[in-house]
Amino acid sequence: MSIIEVDNLTKYYGKARGIIDISFSVDEGEIFGFVGPNGAGKSTTIRLFCSLIYPSGGTAKILGKDCFKHGPEIRREIGYLPSEVFYYDRMKVIDLLKYSASFYGKDCTKRLYELAEIMDLDLKRRIDDLSYGNKKKVGIVQGLLHQPELILLDEPTAGLDPLMQRNFFKLIREENEERGATVFFSSHILGEVQRMCGRVAIIKEGRIVKIEDMKTLQKDNYKKIRVTADDVDEKRFDVDGVRNLEKDNGAVSFFYVGDINVIMRIISEKEVSDVTIEEPTLEEIFMHYYE
Amino acid sequence: MNIFLRELKANLKSLLIWGVIVILFVSEGFAEFSAFAGNPEMLAILDQMPPALLAAFNLDAFNLTTIAGFLGVMFIYFALLLSISAVMWGSDIISKEERDKTVEFSLTLPIPRGRLVTVKTLVATVNCIGLLIITWGVSLANAAKYQPDSQFYSFLSLCMLALFILQMIFLAVGIFLGCAVKHYKRSNSVAVSLLLGTYFLSIVSGLDKDLGFLKYFSPFTYFDPAMLLHESRIDITFVWLSAGIIAVCMFGAYVTYSKRDMYI
Repeated sequence: MSIIEVDNLTKYYGKARGIIDISFSVDEGEIFGFVGPNGAGKSTTIRLFCSLIYPSGGTAKILGKDCFKHGPEIRREIGYLPSEVFYYDRMKVIDLLKYSASFYGKDCTKRLYELAEIMDLDLKRRIDDLSYGNKKKVGIVQGLLHQPELILLDEPTAGLDPLMQRNFFKLIREENEERGATVFFSSHILGEVQRMCGRVAIIKEGRIVKIEDMKTLQKDNYKKIRVTADDVDEKRFDVDGVRNLEKDNGAVSFFYVGDINVIMRIISEKEVSDVTIEEPTLEEIFMHYYE
Repeated sequence: MNIFLRELKANLKSLLIWGVIVILFVSEGFAEFSAFAGNPEMLAILDQMPPALLAAFNLDAFNLTTIAGFLGVMFIYFALLLSISAVMWGSDIISKEERDKTVEFSLTLPIPRGRLVTVKTLVATVNCIGLLIITWGVSLANAAKYQPDSQFYSFLSLCMLALFILQMIFLAVGIFLGCAVKHYKRSNSVAVSLLLGTYFLSIVSGLDKDLGFLKYFSPFTYFDPAMLLHESRIDITFVWLSAGIIAVCMFGAYVTYSKRDMYI
């Protein structure tokens, strides 16, 4: 069953472009990556899901219901972590979290304390005394305490230290694997998307340029090949399908797409001391779409 | 209920500040009155002033040496203070969520936007009533030493009723602007400019008979303190007009707020 169904969703801010004709769907239990640089339209898409803004065209459904007609019902099942969190400054963390919990019509107290423990959050402090990273932790606890079916993450790791990032990813994985929550993960940090997501959509200037399984995306793409040999001649490798050919320090490195046997033969024509063939990182694939 | 209590707490400080302003203003006013009280020389001085000047300060309809007359002159200043507080509370209680960027929290909770507007309007109304009670109380306390007659007390009660209606008009205008104006920075300034604009309109409408129709456009002319004092009644036409303005503003507030993009 599709948790998110987006059909030709378009948003203009006056004349300024937000997103154009975006269509995709996210299945139950998926961790879906949404990748693009700043200003590509990632936050716009998520804000449309939360009906903070209204579309210029197209439809968006969450849990089978129209986002813009059934906003409150849908938001009950959504946990939203914005890229920057802002809360009522003069409240204490615990009061804010209890306030938030009071809207979901169920007892969230136990989960609240568990999450605060995992994220190492000091509940007694006032919101305005918190650092950027600590506010983000409040956001994580607030977004997850009602055990939502759909978790919307908008650049979630900004401001978190590496230790907290690890806790956070573990937490999201648990939410996904143990509770079956669907995760929509927007980010421009490709390493974390690569680690977390099963499928990924790449968004460029408001339009989706590619939606693919992470595995297929890496497989069907360039291989990163590096050949080390004495007196290596890079001209030998200048064949169809080779890009970014570089020679440095007695080694030749390049990207290759095409029949792997062709390039293997060229490599084995002469004596080599070392060969590495790697799948490209999401970052490299991404750069390809953005060139 | 949870939103109501949180908002009430968040707005308490503002109520206290306005309370102090009103207490200082009213006490200062009554201190001035002590110079006029039962002083016939003052009347003689006033008689020599040009009538237009007296009219501008509402000094022609009242005997300034009596406590009721003094209150009649002060009415417009009470009205200004309470209206400014009301319009600012109205616009601010809605727009501050965008200013402080807390909309991404408050509007992603599972509640309809309309409910938020309702609760916030209620909280602002409580604040308005609080400030009105403070105004009433300080006036009573300050007037007590002049041993006012029962006419004064009924006049004061009528004044408070009129002030309450004015507060509600400007609160509704403020709520509407907070809801409808897309850029939060503008809603407060538009609200206060609108209020001052209608105040000047009320002065202009009194200057010339031909401009009398303008009084329908300025809530400050709806409740003439001279009528409140001398006829002990409120003009029901303007009560209906006020109710209409409030209804239109609140309807507009719900419609625009439910459908507009939040400014984040």
